[in-house]
Amino acid sequence: MTTSAVTTLPTPVEPIFNTKPRGLWSTAFHRLFHRRSAIIGMIILGCLLFIAVFAPFLATHDPVQSQIGIVDVQKRAAPCIRLFGCPADQPEFFFGTDGNVRDLYSRVLYGARLSLMVGILSVGFAIVIGAFIGAVSAYAGGYIDNLLMGLMDILLAFPSLILAIAIVTVLGPGLINTLLAIGIVSIPVYARIMRSSVLSIKQQDYVLAGQSIGSSSRRILLQNILPNALTPLVVQGTLGIAVAILDAAALSFLGLGAQPPTPEWGSMIGQERNQVFTAPHLIIFPGIALILTVLGFNLLGDGLRDALDVRQRS
Amino acid sequence: MIAYILRRIVLAIPVMIGILFLTFLLSRLIPGDPCRAMLGEKATQAVCDAFVERTGLNQPIPVQFAYYFGRAVTGDLGESLRFGRPVTDMLMERLPVTVELALLSLLVATFVGMTLGVVAAYWQNSPIDAITMVFANLGVSVPIFVLGLLAAYLFAVAFKDTPFALPPSGRLQPGLIVKTIPEAWGMEDLGGLPRTLLDFLSQMYVVNGILTLNWKVASDAARHLILPVFVLATVPMSIIARMTRSSLLEVMTLDYMRTARAKGLNERHVVFRHAMRNSLLPVVTVVGLSLGGLLSGAVLTETIFGLTGVGRTLFDAITSRDYIVIQGFTLAIAFIYVFVNLLVDLSYAVLDPRIRLS
Repeated sequence: MTTSAVTTLPTPVEPIFNTKPRGLWSTAFHRLFHRRSAIIGMIILGCLLFIAVFAPFLATHDPVQSQIGIVDVQKRAAPCIRLFGCPADQPEFFFGTDGNVRDLYSRVLYGARLSLMVGILSVGFAIVIGAFIGAVSAYAGGYIDNLLMGLMDILLAFPSLILAIAIVTVLGPGLINTLLAIGIVSIPVYARIMRSSVLSIKQQDYVLAGQSIGSSSRRILLQNILPNALTPLVVQGTLGIAVAILDAAALSFLGLGAQPPTPEWGSMIGQERNQVFTAPHLIIFPGIALILTVLGFNLLGDGLRDALDVRQRS
Repeated sequence: MIAYILRRIVLAIPVMIGILFLTFLLSRLIPGDPCRAMLGEKATQAVCDAFVERTGLNQPIPVQFAYYFGRAVTGDLGESLRFGRPVTDMLMERLPVTVELALLSLLVATFVGMTLGVVAAYWQNSPIDAITMVFANLGVSVPIFVLGLLAAYLFAVAFKDTPFALPPSGRLQPGLIVKTIPEAWGMEDLGGLPRTLLDFLSQMYVVNGILTLNWKVASDAARHLILPVFVLATVPMSIIARMTRSSLLEVMTLDYMRTARAKGLNERHVVFRHAMRNSLLPVVTVVGLSLGGLLSGAVLTETIFGLTGVGRTLFDAITSRDYIVIQGFTLAIAFIYVFVNLLVDLSYAVLDPRIRLS
């Protein structure tokens, strides 16, 4: 690393004054679009967003309406696609039908709406509350800091899914309660990140300068500290959405999250889990949808972390 | 060193009290009448009165918490509403199954994960590296229950009648009889702590089979564990592989690596003796942190593969609204988690002297 600096001096290609300095976010976006994994992640998430928004136009059937008596089809029928040789006398179902003779393809499409919503909302909730707790904790210090961080330690002492299960048991099963439970479980991570960023930024010269010219604490927190503490929150938040979607699907799989007939991927798999030996397509299609969604957020999160890494930038 | 250990243990005490309080709240925050919520809508007033009297629900909340605290500390977690059995007994019976599953998974995850990570780092940017990292990325993105169900389908149906066929559920094939270790060793009148320990080990069928020299039980139990162990190991394995790779690559750029090469050591010696040791610390962290994921994952894995461990029992308790079991098992899992994290913290101090000195 240091050898190159000694032996080969960098040759100035163009005058320094002609290059416009880039800001953090501009540099980050520039780098993000040069990373294969981040691009793949963005493409996956772009497709998912498209599917979620235009689900009513892409779906071939009503996602919750049983096709029994409407179309002549068996329950748990295998996929039948005209393009791949589905006989003309059979009804077409891209992903087959489920145990209640509903169209699996339409259900998987609508499922994108729920998973994206649960992931983004629960992490959004956790970031807002967590960042607030972390900022107050770091800025106030003393016994407030000890108390708040002690609370966070207690929440962190539970494996996340187990705590989420316990919370949903108290609140009662359902999609909204799942969302809340996962949000609560994720708060400590963001509180800790925010606290450590604020603690390090608090010592920076520009914050001290702000204090010396008499800026209020609130102004310093919102104008100087928050924007600079945002980077790690954004990275962790993106990766956190992946975890939130996985946990929400797991809760629904266990019967604690979204209730049937809601087209939620985890719940769809949980409903049909005993049929995996006879009708594996009921697990495979919602399963692939889940894997792709989580993969998308993981790839984007990793890409963002590399792109926003301040150490690499310098 | 002893001062460091004591400090860590003292720091864990408030967290444990907090866990007790949180699990206590769990059974008190259920909306509606707690008796009807626990015993069902059909419970008569007389039954409810007796229940409230027996469980102390008519006492003030601080008194209730004091009772709960006192009982939990002495190992009394109440009685299951559904089975009428002490929760502690159920825990001692089911915990070995989960411990066996989790430890084997951690072993597989650490061994395979670190091997893959070293291979990927050694041949950085080669096709092997790329393929390993693609699988590591997929590994952290696959929900355990999807992987578990698909693995069960693949090995029980698609590979049926081939040598790769594996049982998709249960712990032993029907007809195999398992003796407990004290029975097999002819020590049935053993009592006290050694007995508890041997009974605990007896529930781990692989360990039991090996200790009682019953190879049929050991091999059949192991065969039944292959799918659950690998399914549960997937996530930590992927994380460990990625961590080992990046940690090793980071260490390789340090100055002392150049020194090692400059003094003429061969590449293998440089990587395994110089780089590996210093890249281990982050990997140990990940191995320790994986345990929370393993305990969470055990609920799903055990449910899918029909293993009667802590996770499966928790799932059954949720479906039958057995709040006392949910409370007791949640408490036990959290305590185990805190204890293991404490061990991980202490192991840093052993591995890295800088930590215990600061």
